[in-house]
Amino acid sequence: MAIHILGIRHHGVGSAKNVRERLSEIEPDLILVEGPPEIDNMLATIGQANLVPPAAIMCYNSENPRESVFYPFAEYSPEWVAAQYANKHRIPVKAIDLPVTISFAKKREGNESTPPEPITNKDPLSYLAEISGFNSGEDWWEYHFEQQKSNTSEHFEAVMHVMESLRAEEIKSSLDQENIHREAYMRTLIRQYQNEIFTNIAVICGAWHAPALTKLDETAKPDAKLIKELPKSRIKVTSTWIPWTNSRLSMLSGYGAGIYSPGWYEHQWKVKDNVEISWLTKIANTLRQKQIDISTAHVIEAFVLSRSLSAIRNKYYVSLEELDEAALSVMCMGDGIWLEFVKKELTIGNKLGKVPDEIPKVPLQEDFEQQLKTLRLKLTAGEKQYDLDLRKEIDLNRSILFFRLEIMEIPWAKRTVSRTKGTFKESWVTEWSPDMMIELIDKAFLGNTIESASHNLVVNKCIQAKSIAEASGLIQTCIPAELFESIDTVLEKIVELSTISSDIIDLMVALPGLIDVSRYGNVRKSDLSILNTIVKQLLVKVYVGLNNACYGLDEENSTNMFGLVANLNNAIRLYNNSDYQQQWHETLHGMIDNSGIHPIVLGCICRLLLDAQQMDEYEVDTRISFALSASNDPYQVASWLEGFLKGNGMILIYDNRLWNLIYSWVDSLPGNTFMELLPLLRRTFAKFEYGERRQIGEKAKRGLANDYTPVDRDAAHNFDPERAAKILPIIKELAGF
Amino acid sequence: MNVLREHAEQQFQEELHELEKQDTGSKPTNWKLSPASVVKYLMGSKLSNGFEITPKYIGQQRLMEIAVATLTTDRALLLYGIPGTAKSWVSEHLAAAITGDSTLLIQGTAGTSEESIRYGWNYARLLAEGPSAAAMVSTPVMNAMQNGKIVRIEELTRISADVQDTLITVLSEKTMPVPELNMEVQAVKGFNVIATANNRDKGVNELSSALKRRFNTVILPVPATTEEEVRIVQTRVQSNLKALELPASAPTVHDIQRIVRIFRELRNGVTEDGRTKIKSPSSTVSTAEAISVVNNGLALAAHFGNGKLNAHDLASGLIGAIVKDPVQDTVVWNEYLENIVKTREEWKDIYRACKELN
Repeated sequence: MAIHILGIRHHGVGSAKNVRERLSEIEPDLILVEGPPEIDNMLATIGQANLVPPAAIMCYNSENPRESVFYPFAEYSPEWVAAQYANKHRIPVKAIDLPVTISFAKKREGNESTPPEPITNKDPLSYLAEISGFNSGEDWWEYHFEQQKSNTSEHFEAVMHVMESLRAEEIKSSLDQENIHREAYMRTLIRQYQNEIFTNIAVICGAWHAPALTKLDETAKPDAKLIKELPKSRIKVTSTWIPWTNSRLSMLSGYGAGIYSPGWYEHQWKVKDNVEISWLTKIANTLRQKQIDISTAHVIEAFVLSRSLSAIRNKYYVSLEELDEAALSVMCMGDGIWLEFVKKELTIGNKLGKVPDEIPKVPLQEDFEQQLKTLRLKLTAGEKQYDLDLRKEIDLNRSILFFRLEIMEIPWAKRTVSRTKGTFKESWVTEWSPDMMIELIDKAFLGNTIESASHNLVVNKCIQAKSIAEASGLIQTCIPAELFESIDTVLEKIVELSTISSDIIDLMVALPGLIDVSRYGNVRKSDLSILNTIVKQLLVKVYVGLNNACYGLDEENSTNMFGLVANLNNAIRLYNNSDYQQQWHETLHGMIDNSGIHPIVLGCICRLLLDAQQMDEYEVDTRISFALSASNDPYQVASWLEGFLKGNGMILIYDNRLWNLIYSWVDSLPGNTFMELLPLLRRTFAKFEYGERRQIGEKAKRGLANDYTPVDRDAAHNFDPERAAKILPIIKELAGF
Repeated sequence: MNVLREHAEQQFQEELHELEKQDTGSKPTNWKLSPASVVKYLMGSKLSNGFEITPKYIGQQRLMEIAVATLTTDRALLLYGIPGTAKSWVSEHLAAAITGDSTLLIQGTAGTSEESIRYGWNYARLLAEGPSAAAMVSTPVMNAMQNGKIVRIEELTRISADVQDTLITVLSEKTMPVPELNMEVQAVKGFNVIATANNRDKGVNELSSALKRRFNTVILPVPATTEEEVRIVQTRVQSNLKALELPASAPTVHDIQRIVRIFRELRNGVTEDGRTKIKSPSSTVSTAEAISVVNNGLALAAHFGNGKLNAHDLASGLIGAIVKDPVQDTVVWNEYLENIVKTREEWKDIYRACKELN
């Protein structure tokens, strides 16, 4: 009866190599690894062709996937290597750590705030590191146990010896309390397996635990007592494989042995000879792809420098640190930006694992993949465009799925401009990146289907919404995603907010969107009539408060307000309720003489009323002339003009009275003032269409306008009905009739 | 010794000597110290016999290791950075520690000619005797090659591009052909080049990529933390105090901290608490300038004051270091003075002193 305890560092390449070698020497009939027994089934699948690391085992509470813990594996993880060996030689591989269900229960009791973190050798090792002059315990371990190529049985003996003496020193660690129970559990399981038919057992565990697992016989009784202390747990835990990324390998969960350079580890694992040189060649190639000229001489020089560096540091091997620094100095001209790029591309790497289809998945993921199948959508790494015709059912459902994913912040599909006109057309571009699947699984706690998850997300956001604008934004996203239940929740929230909200600006931001939505009437199942009532209530609030809200604003806020007033005006026009339209105009009328309002807003109001034909010609005339009076500060006048003219200069072309007023005003400005005002005026005029600007320019050349409009006259004079008719078919075709 | 400033190898003679005695590491040919000891000399350390080596460079040890490691290979070293980040200082000490001779120096200017890098001729002799080795005037580069020493080239990028490129053969083939005499000077082991260049200046001559390839570059950064910068200023001021024989007492840490803080805040464009944005002046306001402000203040205190550094002594140097452009920088400085210095209770003295000078 033999038990071989192999102490390792999680994700340690050297450890993995030693484990591989040692296993083939001892030829065990059972392999035990550190990890909760819930992952046994998953371990048995390691070695299948379509399970490609980096991958992680996710153990989650079946009822609440949010309660979860990940056990990530890379190709060079000793546990992965061990399981691979076991499956290849058809011997069982079992995990012997504390079950996840108990850890969850412990966490609920409040005794624990973190999930089990098996790695503990870091802290105690740092004492050894300090004594022998290393930066950290990691470095010390790397130097002594990962890089040394010695006889493997001696290697594991040495590990055991170091850990034994460290434990004998009784160095306190924050994980001690946890470790007592975990080690007791491990020992108990080993004893169990021992009593079965197995005679030659290999145990792969974090180095720190190794000495604790040797004394099996004398600890049986105290262990039973310790295990009794553990809480009983009824939490049902499910395990599944999920694809992992290199950058996530450094995440602290499960085997949270933060490895910051997975790409480098993998390189060390895969490349047998000339590890350092081939690494530098990889760096050179990465930089070459970025159009940085790196010659072979650079690689040679970098290698020479890295070796001298490690010599200065008294190391017998070149580590990533030296290689990085040599590359920085030789290849990147000392510039850290390029090296950062190399780190991202190479040192971390963007490798992504694969997981076989038949592995049970998180319900949300299953739903997503099911929907992809029925909607005939593919996850492609490159861009793919979908032009959807919403009159077809499949396209409509695709669009709904895209909108829902958008709500879930999974940016797979992005809206693009449709080439064809018509509201029934939508164009989307999809581009899949595997990170999105992890994001999706991260959201598994929100619901078991895409629909319920996005619904819950909206509800969560809705609860947190503080302004009506936020909530109305949510409504707008819900409608194309057909989340009708969510709309009801959001509506309730809006009612609640609108009763307490007194922020006119918030209301004005929200209203155009709400009015837009209310015009849908009751789309399909949801009853939006309540929205109508809300819109009306809010409009009244705005009407009452607008005058005060505009009073005494500075320029920036006024410019903002000017935009809001113009938008709201558009929305009210669409709202098509003459009562409310009338009240809106009355509100504007009431503000026009308020001298405390910034001229840009006043100009805008004046224009809106003029366009809505709410002012007679005489009044408009008076207003404009008043606004342009010589005694007014020229800056104010320029702002007023900006408000009045913004976006549309046609009025200057056809209204000669207005033209003459502005023309004389510009004429009356002293040279200096004109120069000062020029940028302001330009801001206004530059926004006009090119044709408008040209016509205004031509008009200005002619000076003050007489009462006839020359443009019109020319047009009438030259009009040839026969020639004009010829263009009509082409216009028809262009317009798509 | 009556010189104004001693070379590094003279000033730190004792330290170098002690290091050499203790040195057990293997030395590259013609090196006085082993690479590890050179790093020790630069970064400071305590030797096993208790002898204290003062730190010459305060900052990341990593950078010095790269620099020294570079010199052990056949690549040249380029120290790059904004003015006042101890580039020349480091290069001098590297040369002093490695070869015991920091005097082989070429100051790069727009007027540096090929003759001052390769070799020139003693024309009287040339005319009298014709081309001969005796008529040749050697340069620091040639001397260094012949004796296996390190030559320093200051402000490499100020030298015009075609002259810079004469270094290519020297750096790659380690030889300097003399076609006039049909001979060549081959570099002896231990020869290398340390060049410095700053990346703040306009109108400099970028290195050609052929030359660039022959250098390993180390960028010397501005000090990362206030503590580091205070330490630098303190060390340098104290050694200056000794060298210049100023009859003033060493400035208090408090004073240095204040100066460093002003410099850092102006350089970074934000107050140390990160709450207020500040305009940065056109000058670089480097650590080297902070050092000279304190030195200047000490001189004032020694000769015109009571020997103790006070706010008035610092103020004039301070303004001189910061206000380099009389129009723009004055605005920046006044804003800083009114908005930041004035509001700091314990800075009243310095505020008043600066106000008076304005």
